[in-house]
Amino acid sequence: MRALLAAASDGYEAPGTGIFWQPLFGQGQWTATRAMVLMLLSIIILGAWLLLTTRRVAVVPGRWQFFTEQVYGLVRNGVARDIIGSREFLRYVPMLFTMFVIILLNNLFGVIPPFQFPVMSRIGFPVALTLVVYVVYHTVGIRRMGLGGYFKHMIPPGVPGWVLVILFPLELLTYFFTRPVTLALRLFGNMFAGHLLLVLFITGGEYLLFHSGVPAYIPVGIFSYIMAFVMTLFEILVEFLQAYIFVLLAALYIAGSLADEH
Amino acid sequence: MDDDAHPSAGSSTPPVGDGEAWTVLAYLISGPLLYGGLGWLADRWLGTSPWLVLVGIVGGMALAVYLVWVRYGAHDRRPPTASS
Repeated sequence: MRALLAAASDGYEAPGTGIFWQPLFGQGQWTATRAMVLMLLSIIILGAWLLLTTRRVAVVPGRWQFFTEQVYGLVRNGVARDIIGSREFLRYVPMLFTMFVIILLNNLFGVIPPFQFPVMSRIGFPVALTLVVYVVYHTVGIRRMGLGGYFKHMIPPGVPGWVLVILFPLELLTYFFTRPVTLALRLFGNMFAGHLLLVLFITGGEYLLFHSGVPAYIPVGIFSYIMAFVMTLFEILVEFLQAYIFVLLAALYIAGSLADEH
Repeated sequence: MDDDAHPSAGSSTPPVGDGEAWTVLAYLISGPLLYGGLGWLADRWLGTSPWLVLVGIVGGMALAVYLVWVRYGAHDRRPPTASS
């Protein structure tokens, strides 16, 4: 047992938070990281994709136009229209669609070689996106109902006064703190944990197979690679799901700010 | 643009279905966080640690569940025609 531990401890170092800090060039405050370069790249790719596939729009779409319309339709009809309602959803479709494709591509970078880094695993990116959503849904609500009306709409209907005294702070905290924090952390946490897990299985498997020098470890290494493969498939699912949920929640928050019937 | 001439256009229906489950989470976190936090502060002030923080967390949880019930419970579902 001691030999096992010794072999494990001096040879293999499990991946930690350090793998997420990947400076490419520059230094100090002006360091450009892998995540920043990938984000920039994603915007170029998305811009080119959307411009090229919609430049000559045909009534009977070609294959690429069809694909673009499918993705657009998912956000426009599946999220925005269903949640915000058919009367007012169109204003918010550009924002929701942009967020969806940016998050989705940057998430998918996590499993696409040679990018292989989920940009949203750096907390700054989800926070920036969340700030936009935060400003938008509060602005929409205050514009719609006025400042007083916006706070009044947070009061749940049909609740006796004394309960309201303890419920209202809860609503305030939810609107101004918990919602944005959970929105950003959910995306960040999923990407962070998923990437860590993949790196662990892949580098761990490599060590067990090729560098440990113990033949008994080889089956474990193979198992580790099988897990890496399974988790990669699972990651792809999570990457889609998180992009979808982020946009879904943004739409729900906006819808909540528009609903003035409470 | 062209499929806006949808039969239900004009009636802005309130959000329904599984989307709501995700907004509920924020409430469920807020409750224990707020009242657990207040309980923790009160504990430090009164020296009753750890009792008030426990009461706060459990009470906050109960309040959050109650709030979710008030907000999303089936009792205030009006027919969609009344909402616009």
